[in-house]
Amino acid sequence: MNIEQLSAMQLDALQETGSIGAGHAATALSQLVGHGVAIDVPTLEVVAIGAVPHVFGGPETLVGAVYMRLLGDLGGSMLFVAPRSSSLALVDLMRNRAVGTAKSFGADEEALVTHVAQILVSAYLAAVGRLADLNILPSRPSFALDMAGAILEAVTTEIGMKAEAAVLQRTRFYDDETSVDAYLFFLPDPDSLEVLLGRLGVV
Amino acid sequence: MPNGIPHIGDDAVLVGVGELAITEYPKTLVTQALGSCVGLTLWDPIRRAGGMAHIMLPTRGDTAAEGLRYRFAASAVPALVDMLADAGSPKRRLVAKLAGGAAMFGADSGGASIGARNVAQTKLELAEMGIPLRAEDTGGGHARTIELHMDTGILLVRSYVFGLREI
Repeated sequence: MNIEQLSAMQLDALQETGSIGAGHAATALSQLVGHGVAIDVPTLEVVAIGAVPHVFGGPETLVGAVYMRLLGDLGGSMLFVAPRSSSLALVDLMRNRAVGTAKSFGADEEALVTHVAQILVSAYLAAVGRLADLNILPSRPSFALDMAGAILEAVTTEIGMKAEAAVLQRTRFYDDETSVDAYLFFLPDPDSLEVLLGRLGVV
Repeated sequence: MPNGIPHIGDDAVLVGVGELAITEYPKTLVTQALGSCVGLTLWDPIRRAGGMAHIMLPTRGDTAAEGLRYRFAASAVPALVDMLADAGSPKRRLVAKLAGGAAMFGADSGGASIGARNVAQTKLELAEMGIPLRAEDTGGGHARTIELHMDTGILLVRSYVFGLREI
């Protein structure tokens, strides 16, 4: 399908689906870190493939990221991204220590951030799956600490095979008190977007 | 950051994802945050000029639109060689360097092999055109920003993991 030509109604439906997924994910995150976490209304963006590396700060912004592919009825990707300092804040919250305690990334820190991302993604996908009556599963997660541009590029390369642009839904999770500032990207493949819209009844 | 990435100079010509560019001394060519993508540079020591491609994928599928062709190694490499020839740098004077082609998320991601395939296809295209590959910094699991200097042909490779490297 041509993703540059989504109708207003289709965009609304995707927006609403994203909001419900994000709401569930925020609840799960709050429970996990034992601290209230706020969300912004998710934004739905149609981004030219060439502009994708720029959607999260500059291309060279250092971020912690967790990537999962979608399996089951939808194909695509889920990407958790947080600036390095925010990823470390999540580690401290998970360990029930003062924010600022964790200074650098080791295997344990990577595992904790991956764990947080996995729960966020699971909550998000469960809610979207219920709404659209689809069975969507995340693959095994993998972690990277590197340039945001390269991470986003790696995730959208496959889409670039056919399409001019990628559809991405971005949700921000934040808490000023604990310096948590994390983002969840939902990137359905163009074909899967059609499936999702069909299930939502807005073809 | 101990391995902080230095500021990119005003003389830099930025090459975007799936794009090509050529320039000459004193300008430099820069492309940022190569992950599975490959940065190919061709340099002409006589004219102190060169070109750079930011390649996303090895070969074009049947479905790709015509406008996307510089994304693919199979079409970007010949196009860059042609651009340089038109500018006065014939193929026989060009030397190539390569960087990128990493697997950002290890073997777990579906895109794990794309980086390696990008490198392989780019090398194949260079070999077919008889352009020597002088140096490469490819593979691994980290992102790279590259900068080609036209006076020396040196390619600076910057990453958070290794800091600054010259190839």
